[in-house]
Amino acid sequence: MGALASKRRRSVNIAAVVFLAPAIFFLGTFIIYPIINSFQLSFHDWNGITAHRDFIGIRNWLELFSDRVFWFAFRNNLIVVFFSLLFQVPFALALATFLDAGGKKFTIFKIVWFLPLLMSTVAVGFLFRFGLDANFGIVTFFSRLFGGGAVDLLGDQSRVLLTVIGVICWRFIPFYMILYLAGYSNLPEETYEAAIIDGATRSQYFWRVALPLLWPTIRNGAVLSIVGSLSFFDLIFVMTGGGPGIASELMATYMYRNAFQIMRVGYGATVASAMFILITIIALIVFRLLNRKEKP
Amino acid sequence: MKKLQKVITLVLAFVLVFALVACAGTTTETPVAESPEVEVEETEEADAPEEVATGETTELTLWHIQTHELRAAVIEDAVNRFMEANPQYTVEIVPIQNDVYKETITIAMAANALPDVFVSWSGGPMIEYINAGHLYDMTDFVAASDLPDRLLEAGMAQGTYNGSVYGIPGESVAISAVFYNREIFDDLGLSVPTTVGEMEDVAETLIENDIIPFALANGPRWTGSMYFMNLATRYAGLSPFQNAVSGTGSFEDGSFVFAGERIADWVERDFFAPGFNGADEDTGQSRQLLYADQAAMHIIGNWFISQVLSENPDFHEKLGVFSFPAYENSDANSDIVIGTVGDNFYHIASTSVSPQGSFELITFITDETAMAGRIDAGAIPPIQGVTVEDPILQAVLSIIEEASEVQLWYDQYLPPEVAQAHLNTLQEIFGLTMTPQEANAEVQAAMESYRDR
Repeated sequence: MGALASKRRRSVNIAAVVFLAPAIFFLGTFIIYPIINSFQLSFHDWNGITAHRDFIGIRNWLELFSDRVFWFAFRNNLIVVFFSLLFQVPFALALATFLDAGGKKFTIFKIVWFLPLLMSTVAVGFLFRFGLDANFGIVTFFSRLFGGGAVDLLGDQSRVLLTVIGVICWRFIPFYMILYLAGYSNLPEETYEAAIIDGATRSQYFWRVALPLLWPTIRNGAVLSIVGSLSFFDLIFVMTGGGPGIASELMATYMYRNAFQIMRVGYGATVASAMFILITIIALIVFRLLNRKEKP
Repeated sequence: MKKLQKVITLVLAFVLVFALVACAGTTTETPVAESPEVEVEETEEADAPEEVATGETTELTLWHIQTHELRAAVIEDAVNRFMEANPQYTVEIVPIQNDVYKETITIAMAANALPDVFVSWSGGPMIEYINAGHLYDMTDFVAASDLPDRLLEAGMAQGTYNGSVYGIPGESVAISAVFYNREIFDDLGLSVPTTVGEMEDVAETLIENDIIPFALANGPRWTGSMYFMNLATRYAGLSPFQNAVSGTGSFEDGSFVFAGERIADWVERDFFAPGFNGADEDTGQSRQLLYADQAAMHIIGNWFISQVLSENPDFHEKLGVFSFPAYENSDANSDIVIGTVGDNFYHIASTSVSPQGSFELITFITDETAMAGRIDAGAIPPIQGVTVEDPILQAVLSIIEEASEVQLWYDQYLPPEVAQAHLNTLQEIFGLTMTPQEANAEVQAAMESYRDR
């Protein structure tokens, strides 16, 4: 009996090792090793193309702490987080609610609204760069139609960040829409029926029953949105490259600029490592806060 | 269920963060691990006898940045002729867009994945590549070839460093000049300005007639630098820049203050199109304004002629050009031009599978047929005794011939981090978010910190 149990346990263990090995291998190669390597690199001065790199201790880190541009970029990231949460979560939830209520006959909306997410980010970036052109773009076209002047959205330091946030929302709302739609489909039919039989209106059902039940999904979506916004790169890079000046610089574009344009890979790695630390801390805090709210 | 969801979210969240950090990490490690191999390969290659036709073909890769139809066709034709003459080679051509190219090269070097033949703009970055051992020294090949007899001496000199040839000028002599729409000038009775003050008067007249004076697209930043370089040079010649680089002068010199202040003044007087500071040059947001007759002047390199011929041949009829005018309160030499003799320069990677074959390929890309093709495509190839028929090209050529000196673009001449400081702060001057004094101080600080390192 005991022999059989231990034999069984051994075969379970072997299976576990076999199943976990590929995942651990890839995580180790592509995630854990590069992170360690990035930290290591942050203590060096290196232009990225020589065989030799100079160890300079914490000089890069000291420079980072007093780097006006980095903290400005971090502030921009926080602005992106704020507006992403403000717009993406409610909009996506509204769309998902609409689709859920409509059922099959709204499939066409589901497809159309999902389209932005299917397009390549670079293509979206170029599309909007032309669409928002201050002389020939669609916004200026409508402004002129109603007697206004040219509307400069991407070349004006005070507007560029908000413009790009708008594009980010346009692109990512469909993602959260699908997430919440999946959340809706997980809600048991019985609770809806019970609520209606008990005389609840459609809106009471939404606020009192569906929303609380969807809370875990909403929370997960919010965390994804926060982390995604903090490490955001591609759309901004294509549309503005962080400019004009540093007006739309994010931590990730600043890292890219240092590592590959200025050829200071060591400092770029410092920025990347700092991003890693900041994002991890913020993600943990958000997790803690959201979980606490859920318990009572 | 809830637990599982939590775990999945956490994992997804972390993957998002790590993916980016991983990006930086992986690309950076490779060369350290692999560079000794490079050297081994290199010495082997030097000793090994060149591959003879054994029936096997050697594959060469070529990177260039001629993405406009006509100029790209010249290279394609040269490569086909090369492969016909040398059947032991096959060549893969990879055209890459201008503004992402410099980073692409850096990343390829870091990953030890350079193509056999590729281009650069020479200057500061080329010196960095040489010092890092990525460029093949082709002095011996060049000495045995007819290139020094055919190509411009100044161009060859620009591709030479410490007495060794690392780059062959292959595309076009490129200088910045003021291109303008003659039709608009004629309609409004404007004549070509000979001083900066006159140019400002022209601009004011254009504005009164609802035409944007300058079609600047300053998104990529180097475009605005054309204005800055020309203004600074017209104010006090080349010595302020040379002194600032060598350390005997400073980027806070009066000529740079003048250039910055004049630019800020022009921005305030609406000399540029709405949204110019975020508009893109590569994809033609500036040229769109010219083609639509909404803007009248464009300060840019003479590759602009090639672009017009590819994109809008009709517009070529209306095109005129003049040298950046003199500054009335200065006696600085006003025939100095800003540009480069032979943009771009063809290099062989030190990791090339066949430097001999690569050099052969470069000779085809820079041979007489190819150079004639470039003239037809609106370029001024860096060859001796060049003659052109196109009147615009001829006008550019005479500006070059009259030039007493040529100053390489600041952003190509300066070390990368100083160049970036120059471009970034200049974009802020254009955006009126930084004063010229603040901007120049930042460039000077970058220069000093580079020199200290």
